Amino acid sequence: MDSLACASGYCETMNINNPKLLWQLNFEGPWPTGISFLGSGRRLAAANEGGQIYVWDLPETPPAFEAPKNSERKAPDHPPVRRLEGHTNGVTRLVATPDGKTLVSASLDHSIRIWEPEAAATGNADAVLDSEQRKSKAKREQKDEILSAPGVTVETLNATHTLAGHEDWILSLGTSTDCRRLISGDVASRVIVWDLAERKEIARWSGHPWNWIVAAALSADGQTAVVSEYRYKRDDFDIPAAGLRVHDASTGAEKLNVMQAMFPKYRPVETSYGSAQVWRKFFANGLICADISPDGTLAALGQGGETDTGKIQLIEIATGKLVREVSGHQYGATDCKFSADGKLILSTGRDTTLRICQVEDGKEVAALGSPRGGQFKDWLGALAISPDQKFVAATDIAGLVHVWALEA
Amino acid sequence: MNPRCNPADHLSRRALMKGLLGTAAGGVVMNWGGLTQSALGEEAARQKKHCIYLFMNGGASQFETFDMKPGRPTGGLFRPISTNVPGTQICELMPKMAQKMDQIAVVRSMQTSEVDHPGGIYLMHTGYQQAANVRFPEVGSIVAKYQGREGADLPNFIKIFGHGDAGAGFLGPKYLPFEISPEGQLPPFSASGLEPARELKRHELRAFIEDRYAAERKSELARMHRESYEAARRLQNARGAFKIDEEWEKYRELYGDSAVGRRCLLARKLVEAGVPFVEIGQSSYDSHADNFAWHKGLVPPMEHAWAGLITDLKDRGLYGDTLIIWAGEIGRTPSINNRAGRDHYVRCWSAALAGCGVKGGLVYGASDEDGVEVKDNPVSEGDFFATIYQALAIDPKIENYAGVRPVPLAPFGSKVVSEMLA
Repeated sequence: MDSLACASGYCETMNINNPKLLWQLNFEGPWPTGISFLGSGRRLAAANEGGQIYVWDLPETPPAFEAPKNSERKAPDHPPVRRLEGHTNGVTRLVATPDGKTLVSASLDHSIRIWEPEAAATGNADAVLDSEQRKSKAKREQKDEILSAPGVTVETLNATHTLAGHEDWILSLGTSTDCRRLISGDVASRVIVWDLAERKEIARWSGHPWNWIVAAALSADGQTAVVSEYRYKRDDFDIPAAGLRVHDASTGAEKLNVMQAMFPKYRPVETSYGSAQVWRKFFANGLICADISPDGTLAALGQGGETDTGKIQLIEIATGKLVREVSGHQYGATDCKFSADGKLILSTGRDTTLRICQVEDGKEVAALGSPRGGQFKDWLGALAISPDQKFVAATDIAGLVHVWALEA
Repeated sequence: MNPRCNPADHLSRRALMKGLLGTAAGGVVMNWGGLTQSALGEEAARQKKHCIYLFMNGGASQFETFDMKPGRPTGGLFRPISTNVPGTQICELMPKMAQKMDQIAVVRSMQTSEVDHPGGIYLMHTGYQQAANVRFPEVGSIVAKYQGREGADLPNFIKIFGHGDAGAGFLGPKYLPFEISPEGQLPPFSASGLEPARELKRHELRAFIEDRYAAERKSELARMHRESYEAARRLQNARGAFKIDEEWEKYRELYGDSAVGRRCLLARKLVEAGVPFVEIGQSSYDSHADNFAWHKGLVPPMEHAWAGLITDLKDRGLYGDTLIIWAGEIGRTPSINNRAGRDHYVRCWSAALAGCGVKGGLVYGASDEDGVEVKDNPVSEGDFFATIYQALAIDPKIENYAGVRPVPLAPFGSKVVSEMLA
């Protein structure tokens, strides 16, 4: 294990032993998107497509809970304590320092904001996080006052800093293990590596002008970046090629073009339907989530968009060689992360599950959640792993944040 | 002027003869109704109007183009931007068209009757719902008939990655579209592989045999077949109009570096060369999943090309006589499904017209606060097509005959949205 990772408290081993769903936190309204633990398994932040970020402090032990009959709810709710205000469009990704004292959010409003979740509050606000349940109840009981009833009181907080530099939707955000470096990427194809403490740019570069940066990850030491490029087609017969590159994160210099390594005969300037069939086998509808293993040898990349396979592709960073495909989320993956010991890869997807697989052989060791919905299932969005590796959490488009204990 | 033709004329052999011109791909269906409206057609043709139909196949979302609902549950992820028309906002995906808003008229109150693709495509190409006993012609065929030039080297109705298969309907194969590929390539049958001298000999032999055949049998099919060949041979003189590679570098920035940009440049060239109707398709708007990402991929190249087309037509003095139609076959639902998509919706959606006397800067009709229902001034498919024909100086009440049934160009009861026309 990397010494930097250990120094940051990331040297715990993840043990899976009869995982248990502890909490289902209400977060209704715009779809929940990003999520991150804040220093421990009992404190977490989650964001949504409306640009709101809430912070929850969870009791050590959930209250006794009996699931109502015919209900999707299987675990208790708990109200949030804070709302972080400032984003004017959806938040796409959240990351936090290992101690939880700094939270970073990337947004469709073109900004990256830095928060100190423990800083003094700036005010109070009423928060309604059960809007859908209220609508159902008001309709059932024919009482409109249910809709306007007070919610929960939360403290409000503003960002301490805003990182400007992107001019379009920011879809990707990653960190080195110690969070000294950040990487962000936008749909104008711009990638920026940031010094978090100094709040300044270290390097910036661009992918292919027609592409969006849909996923970006930094190695544990922050020296290497893996960047995934993709854009939705301009027409059935005008489909720009996806891209996947390894860069020196300090300079932006390209170290490896994985697409070229994987498909040597492919000419990426072609945008025809036929040419897209070549790279789609690997990229599907974009590798929209990425992580680098703690030892820096492997990159995990999740096939996103609406795709049948939704595999997590493990590639060797030095060569671009595909090591193996693991997991599989029918209709697409949404997020993926290595465990701190690098032995497991966790992923979420459009099949309402969080899957945990062994890196060495791809064997699935746990599947949390269960497919829910009709022909197309509800999504689990982002996933988070607590610093002590004992808890995992995921956002759910049904307006929930799920928190599981991995060892019951 | 009486827009109705005389059934006796309709059935006359002369009228039938005059109307028969199959394309190389023409079918063998007789009863080409209403080819007797020659006087009306000739009058319209003198107007030298053109039309370019930008067809958004699959159904572009009104919420992600011209009818945003920011802050509402139906609003989605994009933000509105101001345009060069004070008080009018459109989606941030369309910054170039935002600066052309004073040139176009948007309908925010389309209310149509076919919610699925085949029916919707038929509807938004003909103005009519599909019927078992009448084959309605596409707008392109009608414009070809009333604005087309007899004996022109170029076809009068060209589709560049066009959609819809209604074709010429009861107008007959003379008005069928000439279809070219998504990349703008001509179909294989449009070029002769023979040496010119040899081709001419073969042509003369074929004509001789056909004349003999026709003289003995009084066959209209023979004449149609011959005229199809004549049309294909004339096309050889005009193949250069389809070549844009040499010009593309000059226009790449204006139209945007995309397939739809190239199609728009080609459309402008064809219009300039005299073609009365060109349809340009852009596919993949059927965003049942990932609606926002799909529109972020599709709309920017389209709006760039559209804005470039307007600029280019204006620069060449063609804009005043060229109507641009922007529409798909359906709109998309206000609600967002669990695939981050929007489904089909026809109770309230958007379309647009530009050029050819259309009143720029106008937003006609309105939707309610969530875009669920039309609030003001609903526009049916019939109204939309009646307005199109009126803009093109073609009386929408002109009737052709399908058998003995009179069929107006726009459905009975349709009204021209005169507020959209200057």
